Amino acid sequence: MKIFLGNPGIKKIGWISAILIIASVVRLIGLNSFGYNSDEAVYSGQAAAIVQNPVLMDLFPIFRAHPLLFQFFLSLFYFFGISDLTGRLLSVAIGVATVYVTFTLGKELYGDVVGFVAALFLAVMPYHVLVTRQVLLDGPMTLFSTLSVLLLARYAKYWRSSDLYFAATAIGMTFLTKEIGILFIVAIYIFFSLSHEIRLRFRDILISAMIAFTLMALYPLSVMLAGGETSTTARQYLVWQLLRLPNHSADFYLRTLPLEFGPLVLLLAILGFFLLWKERSWREILLMVWLVVPILFFQFWPTKGFQYLLPIAPIVSILAARTIGRWFYSMRDHPIRLGGINVGTLAIAIIFISLLIPTLQVFTPATSSSFLAGSGGVPGGREAGEWIAGHLPDGSTIMTIGPSMANILQFYGHQRAYGLSVSDNPLYRNPSYRPIDNPDKQILMGEIQYIIWDAFSAQRSEFFSEKLLGYVQKYNGRVFHIESIPLTTGSGQTVDEPIIIVYRVYP
Amino acid sequence: MRDPDGFFLVPILFIGLLLNIQPEQPDQVIESSLSPQTPIHHVVVLMQQNHTFDNYFGTYPGADGFPGNLCVPIDPAQEGNSPCIEPFHIENHSVEDLDHSASTFFLQYNDGRMDGFVSALNAQNQDGTLSLGYYDGRDIPYYWNLADEYVLFDRFFSSAHGGSIWNRMYLVAGVPGSEENRIPDGGYGNISTIFDRLQEAGISWKYYVNQYDPSLTYKSLGETSFLDPQVQWVPLLSFDRFIDDPELSSKIVDLEQYFVDLREDNLPAVSFVLALGASEHPLTSLEAGQRFTKNLIQALMESSSWENSAFILTYDDWGGWYDHVPPPQVDSFGYGFRVPAILVSPYARKGHIDNTELDFTSLLKFIIDNWSLEPLGGRSLQVNSITSAFDFDNPPRSAIILPFDRISLEEPNRAPHRIVIYLIYGSITLLAGVLFIKVFRSDENSAQN
Repeated sequence: MKIFLGNPGIKKIGWISAILIIASVVRLIGLNSFGYNSDEAVYSGQAAAIVQNPVLMDLFPIFRAHPLLFQFFLSLFYFFGISDLTGRLLSVAIGVATVYVTFTLGKELYGDVVGFVAALFLAVMPYHVLVTRQVLLDGPMTLFSTLSVLLLARYAKYWRSSDLYFAATAIGMTFLTKEIGILFIVAIYIFFSLSHEIRLRFRDILISAMIAFTLMALYPLSVMLAGGETSTTARQYLVWQLLRLPNHSADFYLRTLPLEFGPLVLLLAILGFFLLWKERSWREILLMVWLVVPILFFQFWPTKGFQYLLPIAPIVSILAARTIGRWFYSMRDHPIRLGGINVGTLAIAIIFISLLIPTLQVFTPATSSSFLAGSGGVPGGREAGEWIAGHLPDGSTIMTIGPSMANILQFYGHQRAYGLSVSDNPLYRNPSYRPIDNPDKQILMGEIQYIIWDAFSAQRSEFFSEKLLGYVQKYNGRVFHIESIPLTTGSGQTVDEPIIIVYRVYP
Repeated sequence: MRDPDGFFLVPILFIGLLLNIQPEQPDQVIESSLSPQTPIHHVVVLMQQNHTFDNYFGTYPGADGFPGNLCVPIDPAQEGNSPCIEPFHIENHSVEDLDHSASTFFLQYNDGRMDGFVSALNAQNQDGTLSLGYYDGRDIPYYWNLADEYVLFDRFFSSAHGGSIWNRMYLVAGVPGSEENRIPDGGYGNISTIFDRLQEAGISWKYYVNQYDPSLTYKSLGETSFLDPQVQWVPLLSFDRFIDDPELSSKIVDLEQYFVDLREDNLPAVSFVLALGASEHPLTSLEAGQRFTKNLIQALMESSSWENSAFILTYDDWGGWYDHVPPPQVDSFGYGFRVPAILVSPYARKGHIDNTELDFTSLLKFIIDNWSLEPLGGRSLQVNSITSAFDFDNPPRSAIILPFDRISLEEPNRAPHRIVIYLIYGSITLLAGVLFIKVFRSDENSAQN
């Protein structure tokens, strides 16, 4: 037994297993306590449409905005039944796999200690935990992008052509998960341009480029070959993304992300970058291009999503771990101890706890009716949707404030829902959404029978909230159902706050 | 059975004592005998106006519609030499209120040859060719959608070969009510109606009238010289007892009450509905009629009553339009030509075309049988019921709000080809699996080295 525990290989397996267990636990606690948000509903709806679920295939077209690698993978599980938990469990598995790939990458670049520490940081990093508890494309995209970095690192380290081909394959997968993965082609180009010590054979470049671009071409090819009415939506989407108005101010990421990465982790990463400047090599260049390219792109791109910068999370973890690893290395002969504990270990423990505390807050119930897209599930959405599925006749049509709640209600409620805020000008609307041409006419003609108000959309658009409630009043809306969440007031009292109200209109 | 004076109560109690059983309250006895014989606890009947089966469903797939190569002679007397008219889609043709008197019926029927439709109307100085016009899913999409989902009857005859007054009397009483197709001067007197039977049995009922004006009854004829449509189409307003007895007259209510009753879970066992303005009578809008019907059905579907309900849509007479099936002549009043009829119910067979020979009294037969009522006179004793349209062996279907636009069953498949998605993304998923295996196997190898 003693021999067994003393075996360094077994120890390593023990450490990484413990980290992966921690990563799994923090991602699984209360995983399904809230229902899907809009994006989750859409991706799961697409997966359900792929397996031809008789109800959801009419409500969610297969082709919308992004390639379908993740949705297809999810659909394989949907052959055994549609459940929101299935999608989330798959996301968690992908998130945990990313922690493992981060460990391997850290180890490959800087040795075991950095691998373990980077994996530990990512395992409990609020940003990564939060996003990989949801059915979003950014989690799987981050897995493939981190895998790409790992394979590029191996190529740079061992000069094996196969690693470059694998890296090209991984980049193709990144793109097929979310088309923004094409950014990393730019990052790779910059990396090889700046890393003069890495030799590149023309033949390897050619084959790798062919692999990557062939895989990428499968996305437009699948849209083209599959045909159908909705495939045009995918083609219109890029144009709309290029022309749409900004959805957040320029300081959006600066305001939201530092706390999500963990201030201490961020500080360590930056500190290490400057303190260890002299030791820079292709390793740091690789990590930096993977960090800077997405940050710069999304800083200037009009559409900013909370989860869009997730692929940099493993990189930030490794950079922070690198600083600690370097310190461990320099102190290995004369370690500083505090109360018998290695200060380096203590520092890791403090950072771990500093990450864990905000991460655990992810599981606490919502205390306000505000909501940031991509930051989690929507309280009450699933419950309202399930009430709709159980109480409204099939074929009912619902009007909501915006398309986000419409997506959620469609997924859980199995009835068609339209967002009032969807513009009838194609230049200003997501091509996936259909506008309500004339709400008055459609209500009067009995084509819209229900109006659903929700606090989250109302908070985002007071104008459309008031407009929607105007229709409720105008057409004798009667409350059919109210979804509430318990909120704590300033005086400490807990009150039930209505967050979703279902009205039936009687024109 | 009502027993206001307690006439039967004493013997019942006496027999109860003799048998040493606990005497039950009369109300409880009635309650137990009120249980419907089928899962249908609510029947709603909407009778619209003036269309034949062929006029609405003559081209409906699978139904007994227009025969192939149909061409109706302009002058049937010429026996094969007359030019003829083929059925045509009405589209933008202007329509008129075609004559639908008993005399026109016999000319059109022409001893069962069914070839006098054009000439009979021409003789009335009307455009007889119009009788061959038809509507289809483009014009009445909602009704065609209903037929796709529920039951369409294609052997449903109007009860009488006259207009609304006879036929609507058949619907409530199983008899024509008068020798002529008009309301008798003194009203219908003591003729029993289905509502009398329901009232006697203590079963709830209501007659919902759109824009109901209680002051308009058959007695208003003397005052205005014009019999208001409400009176013509609600036979109960030509019965003294339904006008004067507050308990009975309180059951004839404005249509608004229908929606209130549904909301308050108070729908009666039997409800009749009169649309009035949205009746689809020629010159009125078919769209308005369909929307009216849709609102009634939709409200029913949203209520708790839906699970045990049957909604029947039918038409009071043929309105002068062509129909190719010679109606059996069961007595001196009818049948008249076929009319459209649709059953909407959670127990209705899905997309079923029912060929049972029926008329309006078949609905009475169903109500009588379902609630075990005393039989009514007239035809309701002999006719078929509509039970063949129900499937009581399976659980009730959930409600479905059908769209107003036609759901085309033959629309080309515009969904993407899934095989392409399966092939491309399936291959990529496999490739991703291989990639991971290769990467981490080489990781293990390098660790071992």
